[in-house]
Amino acid sequence: MGRLKQKGKAGAAKAYVTRSAAVKKLQCSLADFRRLCILKGIFPREPRSRKKANKGSSAPTSFYYAKDIAYLAHEPVLKKLREHKAFAKKLSRALGRGEWSSAKSLEENKPVYHLDHIIKERYPTFIDAVRDIDDALCMIFLFASLPSDGRVSPALIDNCSRFASEWQLYVMHTRALRKVFLSIKGVYYQAEVMDQTVTWLVPYQFTQNIPPDVDVRVMLTFLELYQTLLGFVFFKLYADSGLVYPPPRDTVKDDSGAGVGAFSLQELASQPLAASKTTQVEVHGKRVSTKDVRNTIKSIATSSAEGDAGAESPAADSAVLEEDEEEFVPHPSTSNPDEAAALPTLRTLASLPQSGTSKLLAAYTFWLSRETSRPVFEFIVRSFGGRIGWPESSGSGSPFDESDDSITHVIIDRPLVEKPNETEEERERRRRRKYVQPQWVVDCLNAGKILLEEPYLQGKTLPPHLSPFGGLAGAYDPTAAPAGEDADMEAEEAEEDAAMEDGEDEDAEATRPEKAVLKAAAEAEDEAALRAAELAAEAAGVDYGTFEKSAKKSAKKTAKAPAQADDRAEQEMNKMMMSNKQRKLYERMKYGEKKRATEKQNLEHKKRAIEKEKRTRPKSQS
Amino acid sequence: MHSEDEGGDEAEDEDDGEAEQFPEIDTRSDSEDENENENGSAADAEEDEDVEDDEDDEEEEDESEVDTEDDDLRIYPKPKTVISDITGQPKRVYPEIEADYDSDSSTEDTPNRVGNIPMHWYDDLPHVGYDVNGKKVLRPARGDELDKFLETVEDPSAWTSAFDKNTQRDKPLTEEELDLIRRLQENENPDSAYDPYEPTIEWFTGKGKEEVMPLSGAPEPKRRWVPSKWEKQKIMKIVRAIRQGRIIPNKPKTASTQPQFYNIWNDEPSNVAPPLPAPKPRLPTNAESYNPPEEYLPTEEERKQWEGTDKEDRERDFLPQKYGALRLVPAYDQFIQERFSRQLDLYLAPRVQRVKLQIDPNSLIPKLPSPSSLKPFPVYKSLHVSHDAHRVRALSVSPDGAWAVSGDENGNVGLWEVMVGKEVKRWKFPGKVGAVEWCPRTDVSFFVVAIEEHLHFIVPPNLPTPVLVATQALLAPATLPPAPATPSPVKWVSTAAAASSSDLPILTLSLPSSSGLPKQIVWHRKGDYLSTVSSGEGQGGVWIHQVSRRHSQAPFRKVKGSIQLVLFHPTKPHFFVATQRYVRMYNLAEQKLLKTLTPGIRWISCMDVHPSGDHLIVGGYDRKLCWFDLELSDKPYKILRYHTRALRAVHFHPTYPLFASSSDDGSIQVFHARVYNDLMTNPLIVPLKILRGHTVKEGLGVLQVRWCPRQPWLVSAGADGEVAVWCS
Repeated sequence: MGRLKQKGKAGAAKAYVTRSAAVKKLQCSLADFRRLCILKGIFPREPRSRKKANKGSSAPTSFYYAKDIAYLAHEPVLKKLREHKAFAKKLSRALGRGEWSSAKSLEENKPVYHLDHIIKERYPTFIDAVRDIDDALCMIFLFASLPSDGRVSPALIDNCSRFASEWQLYVMHTRALRKVFLSIKGVYYQAEVMDQTVTWLVPYQFTQNIPPDVDVRVMLTFLELYQTLLGFVFFKLYADSGLVYPPPRDTVKDDSGAGVGAFSLQELASQPLAASKTTQVEVHGKRVSTKDVRNTIKSIATSSAEGDAGAESPAADSAVLEEDEEEFVPHPSTSNPDEAAALPTLRTLASLPQSGTSKLLAAYTFWLSRETSRPVFEFIVRSFGGRIGWPESSGSGSPFDESDDSITHVIIDRPLVEKPNETEEERERRRRRKYVQPQWVVDCLNAGKILLEEPYLQGKTLPPHLSPFGGLAGAYDPTAAPAGEDADMEAEEAEEDAAMEDGEDEDAEATRPEKAVLKAAAEAEDEAALRAAELAAEAAGVDYGTFEKSAKKSAKKTAKAPAQADDRAEQEMNKMMMSNKQRKLYERMKYGEKKRATEKQNLEHKKRAIEKEKRTRPKSQS
Repeated sequence: MHSEDEGGDEAEDEDDGEAEQFPEIDTRSDSEDENENENGSAADAEEDEDVEDDEDDEEEEDESEVDTEDDDLRIYPKPKTVISDITGQPKRVYPEIEADYDSDSSTEDTPNRVGNIPMHWYDDLPHVGYDVNGKKVLRPARGDELDKFLETVEDPSAWTSAFDKNTQRDKPLTEEELDLIRRLQENENPDSAYDPYEPTIEWFTGKGKEEVMPLSGAPEPKRRWVPSKWEKQKIMKIVRAIRQGRIIPNKPKTASTQPQFYNIWNDEPSNVAPPLPAPKPRLPTNAESYNPPEEYLPTEEERKQWEGTDKEDRERDFLPQKYGALRLVPAYDQFIQERFSRQLDLYLAPRVQRVKLQIDPNSLIPKLPSPSSLKPFPVYKSLHVSHDAHRVRALSVSPDGAWAVSGDENGNVGLWEVMVGKEVKRWKFPGKVGAVEWCPRTDVSFFVVAIEEHLHFIVPPNLPTPVLVATQALLAPATLPPAPATPSPVKWVSTAAAASSSDLPILTLSLPSSSGLPKQIVWHRKGDYLSTVSSGEGQGGVWIHQVSRRHSQAPFRKVKGSIQLVLFHPTKPHFFVATQRYVRMYNLAEQKLLKTLTPGIRWISCMDVHPSGDHLIVGGYDRKLCWFDLELSDKPYKILRYHTRALRAVHFHPTYPLFASSSDDGSIQVFHARVYNDLMTNPLIVPLKILRGHTVKEGLGVLQVRWCPRQPWLVSAGADGEVAVWCS
């Protein structure tokens, strides 16, 4: 017999500690513990059995890995937090005694912690860091739009807006933006950086205030981490694309509301390797632009001629252009073909613009009307290679003014009004330009091609704006036409409706015996009943063809039905033999399936109802 | 008291170092000092006592000096300020007090000489004390309350007078006393002569008072003019630290506040596994668009439902909305909250890694052979026999499968043909029929009916003569076997073979009284023994009767739990006994417990053993059916739960691999149950058919099922009074 096992000495009881035990062990306050958890990315775990992990108690607590906490105990930030506590005591004492000079020197030597090592620890490789900057970007963009107050310092807001601009500059420079979605919450952007998709949400430009039920300290702690993370990520991204980080900011331009334009990207001159890379990009860009000029001329000509012929041409052309570029062709290894295909090539890692869609708007010049949001559309248009200008009221730094002849599109978000006192020149200009609503730009780049402007023209009712991110497999697709089965059902429904309408005025078989007979034929189940129905039909004077048709239809239906029913009943019975665990899993899966199906069905049903209403309304009006 | 002393100007008395007292030189005699001192200390001691005594004393003092300073409101004699001959400074000089009789105010004028005693000692007496001559001082006449009141109204000085205990009468307060009271009330210094705003006198540095000589003659110490060695050492330490760069004076502040960014991913990544990346939030769908397709917009009831649910129960955190133009889209009011809740998720929510199952749920259903390949089994109801809507609890099929007998709660027992459903004969018994059972022997033919405390052995009519003779010989033999040595409580009474008919029972067993209704009759395979289980009488409910010896015995003297069911093992001398929760298996030959099976059922309702004897099925009121492999374990091999209500009966087919279970939900479930001789192969259980047709009446459904021994037919009896035959 081995040693007696003591309770609580092994297993879950040792592997987990409760939060209060962790705080006690680290000898810090709960607020400090939270801060540490946020910074180090330590989160509670759910033990298999809460009772085993908590000495038999089932009280609601959160558990952490004991190893995590032991790891936290050696954290330099924790040491700094303790130092800060001592510092705060000393400072308050000095202030209480009125020892201003010692308070000042204390303040100057305040302990400050750095998060560099934490960034390195949490993101061992650069790709890890890029994969995880979604939340960081969301927070940075949110705080860039917040007003400063007592809790949120102006310097912090300024820093956040600087980070936001730097990110936008980088995305515009590398043409990494892929998808944009205008939602009711804000604008979702998706970019592809280092082969990772990065999605972030930017609120619409309104002043927001931090609601009272939100703990600002938590948000600020996160922001602290995110600022450090983004700083390092941006440094590497900028350095990899041969740019100086941080990009210098022109304060005069910034004060006049230039936004992203206040920053200037500078090449790293000292590094020959990076320089060569950037020149290559330049060459690449130039080559495209010369062809684009021709494309533009062609597209303008065609669009003015027919309107719809030039819709897809620029994308197609640029796709052709991409082809002649040298490309790494992976040769699949004989042993493991999947592996080779999945390997990231040098090209993908360099995050150079790959597809033709990144040059989608290169041929166009846009003018922003003053009611459209400049930061949003400046960012979108410039990331897809277009030129954009805006009136002075939207901020300074517009590259051209409204009278510029190169403007092809005006993004306008106003209802159409007649302008009686228009000069000839203005009218001419108006004729030459396309006045489109902002959704056109976003829909174009989500579709990956230039769409027809017709449905998006000023004053038109817009087609629905769909999410470019797609849904789950098998979810409802609003663009899909109603499926065959549904169409059948619809037809049947219509028939039934008609029958119902008929049924109102018809009393019994007396008025329309044929119908009743046919119905009887359809409902006849066995031979004898069918025979009887046939006789009845003959008596009623229904011709044999129609009778046979309806009878066959019903026969098919009935033949299909019992076979299915049998199968289903058999399956139902087989379910008895499932184990409890399997049954529960099965029921859960079935529940989910059913829920999704109902949701989809509900949407389809609604769509049919809406379409029906649309069809009937003009009829009733006419 | 402090102020009083000050007024009295006592240098020795108070040494709190007040400036004005310091230079004064006491001119008065010691005796006076003592007197004053005494007075002061007495007052000190009596602070907590009533004020009147003090006032009295003071008043007396005052009276002695009233003649000298009548103009001033002072208790003590007023000092004169004169220029001192010695110092040339002004000083206060108090008038001499002559130590004559008059000077001692305490002896003056008070007729009552009892001293400072509690005056309530005299409360009951007509006098208030004694004068100096020892004569009683009589209590002054005092009016009643009305007089007192009138006095206060009439006398204008009444409110400035106080009651003097010593003389037991009111005494008007003097001006000085009133002034003192006023000062005390206003928190002023009680001494009216005290001036809180006297000019400061600079005693050592003032004009003409400068100290020229040093206070001490000690020489100046060296440390006053030699630089400190220790200070130098401390400073040198700091200087060295600065030189070595350990201390940086005037550190530039910008370096610490502004984070410096560099290429942190330049060097090799550590081999420590990074923490799991946080799951990304779900990407927005079409419903979140500012201009979604119209079908996404919620209807009125959906909106209401969304608003009605709690925030954390909502499937979506927003309601889809449609705006005609981008400029009309307002700010999203939940933006910051959503960001915050995402952060809470990041650092407060436990993360669990789950494997996402990408399987077809139908693949979880076990693949079993199709029921159509396992025919024959009963599929339809071929006929039914009615029992006039009385619950039929008892049912049995004859061993040749041609006859069935059923008994209801009204006491009717019907004998009918299984093939055609024709009732041949009907018996009527008093009270409920608890059970009926055919004897399994084929050379004789009879069945047993259990009613309240009796077992009736009945020979069916129309038997072939040899069988009838054999039956009569068995049940009513001409020579009775010898009676057992000990008299049994069970009586065996048989009618003579000649007189017997099928109308009356040929043999009747009287169970001991108050044993209740026998719920179950079980025959041993050979048809000689039968066992009954009675409902009443906790432990003596089980009897084993031997027909050939006409002998009954109770096998269990003491049983744990109430016995529900018993069963004979088909091949071995084993006996199953089911209590509420457990099934015990006894060896009757060796008379010992073999094993205890734990089905995990709360209340066992039915049980049957497979014809091979190696498998047992147990059904319970809690809807479970347990299959035991007796070779395998005490725990069930399989637990099935498919009925929606309590199980009522289970039965194995004697020849076909079938078993059936019936339940209170009105359905009968037929299973294929193939058992292999090979010990390694598990029994195959395939659900075949659910037979519906009985109606549920008062919560009871199908109460009994029995198989026909030679056909795959099932006979079932329900609470609706129907007995049905199900054929393949």
